[in-house]
Amino acid sequence: MSVIREIDIMGKKKIIPISALIVLLIGSLSSAYVYTSTVDTEFITINGNEYTIDQLFFIGEEKTINSNSELFTGIALDSLIIKTGVVNPEDHDYKIIASDGYQKTVKWENIKNGVLTREGTSIFSDLPKAYRVKNIIHIEVI
Amino acid sequence: MKKMKLFAGILAFGSLWGFSECIIGSTLRDAGLPAGSIMTGLFAIILMTMSRMFYKQRGMQLGMGLVAGALRLFNPFGGCFICSAIAILAEGAIFELIWYGLSLDLKELNTITMKSSIGILTAYVIYVGGYIITQILTPIISSAGFYLENLIVFLPQIFASGLLAAILGGITVTATLQLREIDITIKDRLYYPATIGISIFCWLIVIANTLIILSS
Repeated sequence: MSVIREIDIMGKKKIIPISALIVLLIGSLSSAYVYTSTVDTEFITINGNEYTIDQLFFIGEEKTINSNSELFTGIALDSLIIKTGVVNPEDHDYKIIASDGYQKTVKWENIKNGVLTREGTSIFSDLPKAYRVKNIIHIEVI
Repeated sequence: MKKMKLFAGILAFGSLWGFSECIIGSTLRDAGLPAGSIMTGLFAIILMTMSRMFYKQRGMQLGMGLVAGALRLFNPFGGCFICSAIAILAEGAIFELIWYGLSLDLKELNTITMKSSIGILTAYVIYVGGYIITQILTPIISSAGFYLENLIVFLPQIFASGLLAAILGGITVTATLQLREIDITIKDRLYYPATIGISIFCWLIVIANTLIILSS
């Protein structure tokens, strides 16, 4: 019985360090991938057209919302979607994509409760903090 | 009697875990630090390793996750708190799965390589596992709905952010397992007041913190 246990321990002494090395490798390669794939642009693409944040603040309507007991001021996302020429906006979902690849898909009902801040972050009064997409580069109409 | 002792231990260690998630985690998050990695790589992993080392009982860490997750529900701030509570419970369950194959006396963890390796592996897997669970549950519970594509494109970031948790876990588990050399025995007449006292303290602070934030 103790011989079986020793063999078992010998196996673990190989498997555990190798597994630790593998997870370190996955973490390192993923870090390198995230670093190299981050897009650096000052434009936000909405419905196929590129805009700067100043242009969006010029065409959109500003509003203040309360999200998780904090107040945020920005351009109303619903007015932005309408003014950038999306037809029948209520029939679509919207994929909000950040410069580092982080993305969240929301419905028109959520868009009506959201703003885009001057820092290029989406904030929604009806959604958790996970939907605060920072450094937005693309709002895709789907 | 032994079961009572174990139950008191689960309550105390789980309360400490929940307390650290609610109070310290929120402070780290407000300071702009990577709270998730630090909480998993330091607090969660130290408490689970210590409890496994001292009590030598499988299943205890799952119970701790249940207590810590329940305490998280009493601190309804910082996004989807129900998802966080479930993620904490999942972290306890994942710890159990990884450590299930180890002996109760942890005989195989006798070298620095083994101690740091199990720390790296455990911290990374429970962090990534908990993170993925949160990313699935948050959209499901919110009105936006879950989209698999959003999770898949975000996986490299989740895997990358687990690196800090893994490094911290490697250091903290190695340090924690060194405590095995110290013989700690607490008499029953001190054990129960100490464990119950710690648990009550943690729950009171978290509930008081919630009431203060709500009233301000």
